[in-house]
Amino acid sequence: MNIVVAIKHIPSIADDLPVSGNNVDFDSVDFVLNEFDEQSIEQAVLVKEAVGGTVTVVGVDLIEELDNILHLAIAKGADKAVKVTADEPGADSHMQAKWLSEAIKGLSPDIVFAGVQASNDLDGQIGPMIAAHLDMPYIGGVSSVEVADGTATVNKEFAGGVGAKYSVSLPMVVGVQAAAKPPRYAPISKVRQVAQTATIDTVEPSGDASSGLTFKKMAPPVATGHAEMIDGSPKEVAAKIVELLKSKGLA
Amino acid sequence: MLTTVEKIIFILAALTSVGFTYHGFKTIVDSIRKGRPAPELKDIPGSLVKAGVAVLFQQTIFKARKVLSAIHMGLFFGLITYAFVNLTDALEGLIPGFDLVYGGKNIPFKFLPAGVINTFNLIADVMSGILLFAIIVMFVRRFITKDKALTFRDNILLNPKVLAGAQARDSLIVDVFVVMHVGARLLSQAYRLNEGPDPFMPIASFLNSMVGSSEVGVHVAWWVSLGWVMFIIPYLSRSKHTHFFMSPINLGLAKQNPRGQLDPAVPLKVIEGTRFDPGAKHVHDLAWTRVLDAYACVQCNRCQDVCPANFYQRPLSPSALEVNKRYLLKEATFGSHPEKLLLPLTETVISPEAVWSCTTCYACVRVCPVGNEPMADIVDIRRRMLIDGYEIDSGVQNALQSLATNGNWMSKGKRLRGKWAKEMEFPVKDATAEPVDHLWFVGDTASFDERVIPNTKMVARIFNQAGLDFGIMYKEESNAGNDVRRVGEEGLFEQLVEQNMAAFGKSQFQRIVTTDPHSFNTLKNEYPQFGGQWEVKHYTVTLLRLFEEGKLTVKNKLSNYKVTFHDPCYLGRYNGGFTAPRKLLELLGVEFHEMPRNCENSFCCGAGGGQIWMGKVAPGERPAENRIKEALTTFESNASDKKQLFIVTCPKDMIMYSDAVKTTGNEGRIEVRDIIQLIAEAVGVEEPAVAEAVAA
Repeated sequence: MNIVVAIKHIPSIADDLPVSGNNVDFDSVDFVLNEFDEQSIEQAVLVKEAVGGTVTVVGVDLIEELDNILHLAIAKGADKAVKVTADEPGADSHMQAKWLSEAIKGLSPDIVFAGVQASNDLDGQIGPMIAAHLDMPYIGGVSSVEVADGTATVNKEFAGGVGAKYSVSLPMVVGVQAAAKPPRYAPISKVRQVAQTATIDTVEPSGDASSGLTFKKMAPPVATGHAEMIDGSPKEVAAKIVELLKSKGLA
Repeated sequence: MLTTVEKIIFILAALTSVGFTYHGFKTIVDSIRKGRPAPELKDIPGSLVKAGVAVLFQQTIFKARKVLSAIHMGLFFGLITYAFVNLTDALEGLIPGFDLVYGGKNIPFKFLPAGVINTFNLIADVMSGILLFAIIVMFVRRFITKDKALTFRDNILLNPKVLAGAQARDSLIVDVFVVMHVGARLLSQAYRLNEGPDPFMPIASFLNSMVGSSEVGVHVAWWVSLGWVMFIIPYLSRSKHTHFFMSPINLGLAKQNPRGQLDPAVPLKVIEGTRFDPGAKHVHDLAWTRVLDAYACVQCNRCQDVCPANFYQRPLSPSALEVNKRYLLKEATFGSHPEKLLLPLTETVISPEAVWSCTTCYACVRVCPVGNEPMADIVDIRRRMLIDGYEIDSGVQNALQSLATNGNWMSKGKRLRGKWAKEMEFPVKDATAEPVDHLWFVGDTASFDERVIPNTKMVARIFNQAGLDFGIMYKEESNAGNDVRRVGEEGLFEQLVEQNMAAFGKSQFQRIVTTDPHSFNTLKNEYPQFGGQWEVKHYTVTLLRLFEEGKLTVKNKLSNYKVTFHDPCYLGRYNGGFTAPRKLLELLGVEFHEMPRNCENSFCCGAGGGQIWMGKVAPGERPAENRIKEALTTFESNASDKKQLFIVTCPKDMIMYSDAVKTTGNEGRIEVRDIIQLIAEAVGVEEPAVAEAVAA
């Protein structure tokens, strides 16, 4: 079985996000793997471990630092890695989805995994767009996948704690919310070993599918309002709160 | 004395005994040799002699349980004496007329002077009494009063043989042996006294007054005494009492490199053609010196007494680890289960939960009288579990993942590491950009944790006040890797070392100072192996020097405080940094009281070895909570109205103990402070007034 995982390299929000002009300052931000993609890699490896096959991880190399991520994926159990050499840190979801789809087509996938969303655009579109480009069905918000006889049994989570189980004929695209198990840890010695031995296939970006949207302005939110700490004994504090509520016309 | 038939029987029995003994020890040596290469030991004869001296004076057992150690001393000297006694007894049996009573006056040939023989007789007689007394105390302790220190808690993994009471059986056999052997020997001498009491044999003479003298009695008692020996020596090689022979050897072959330097995950000396996986899955994946540990251990449980994880009701007992190793090896080498050697250590020796409970505080290794290193085994087991993809605690995994990507365990961006320094009222130099005298290695907790940052800033102010030329590495600093290595993630440790080495390479500095004992330990003891040869100081040492050089002076004596001090494991027990913090406290003029567990015997806060990263918190009284109670008890016996402070010199301690004061409901009674807060008060350095911008 050919299992493909489409991943996304995104600016880290562990730091305060630096802004330059009307976009993120890509030169001074670290890039990390989208956290939902960690789940989707794990789910893909779990499926491979259950039914056999090959896991190929595909990502767009935006800043020429994707190799580390691909090595990590291989250390976690992926078999092959492919990078689309775009060198375009600001590439949006539409462009990435198009490039990824072109790269994935040649792999004749039985199932494609993608993280359900990413923190950099939050539109949750990569998975559905890949499905559209590849002409496959898509289910997002998925929390576990089992495959048997050309059919995937997929658990999807809805809001309010409601779950649903789908049976889908392969091939399909899955938007992973969470893997059936927490993502495994890849020891660094293994990642480093992979880095020395593994080969990463490279593909030129092909096809243009820009969203057509342009950034007009990007800025950190302006802090508004403030918190006032009320000191004193519980009685005094209570009295002050009552007074405050009255003054605001709330009591 | 013996008849010819008796002599033949004796010699045959002795030869059989020697044969079984040889087989026993050969089996043990073969098993030890199957262990992995250990870090190189230098001057083995020298260190064996040193160990011999330590054993002779019983130096290493007195670190704990003073009274029982004295009893052990009686056993030890008694058994040493009996090695000679057995020899002369054998001669008495084999050589006609050879009889040591009455100063040897009946020996038909010229032997030693009577004075020498009488001295020997007196020592043998008195030591027989001491030996009997000591063994009876040990017997009573195990079987009558049932000392709890000799038992294991129910949640601790134990070999089925141990569960079935094999340890007690071994003890009973040896107890009975000593009583029978020594008793029979005394009787055999008593029966010889056919000319009335011998003043140099008081106990034998007393017995003689009750049983009289008897030729038959001499023969029977002699056979009981020597017969036991011929049985017991080969038996010893198959029981926990290999301790008698292996503990001095083990002590002589004990860890030589610094306490704070772990054995590498893969043996340095790789035997040709053998590929070693990192860490230990099976018992013979352990370094041979640590296979030997199991044979040296007599299962006294001193290590269990001092183990913070054991105190915390976790399923860990360092001694159970050694005991289980011992019985596993026995079943596999002497028994009929060699296949058990291929069972994972996590099924036979220590439970996975116990493996992940260790705080790597080193208390077990420090207290062990025979030089065992159960903690090193645990780290090796962790190493292999990580490589084998064992599911680890989610909190630890998150920490490791963050360390791999961000260089810190708090999922903070690298650029935020120096944020506190940029907020200071004076510039803090960037050591990667301009030369400094002291490179301050700040560490994760002190750099990022809001609860600790005020103290970090205060250190900077004091350094600044003292005119110390210092700088930090800002975003270039990564976690030093001390706890990463002890969690078993050797690859990540190496990666962090490389990152820091690159940062150090960019920087110009004379020496390193660090506020973090954990970083201090690995920078001082482990970085040299990666080429990092610097002078590394803990900030307490640097601060003390600044006072001694007059660059800092105490303006306000802090006599209104009553304080106690907690030795951080990685500063104290690991690196002997006991004096600087105490001298500083003395300079500050506080009323100082030592807790019962101090210095080498300090009790771990429970955060080390990755425990602070654990997502799951176990129920029960935590080590830090127990420590706060210890401090309060110490203060109670020195009651006064002064403010009671618990002084720490480790950012992790600040967090652990501040929490513990709250969870034990002792806010208002005791306050946790970093030593820098006291110094600031004494020196007269204050925090600048907080800007009013936040307020309405």
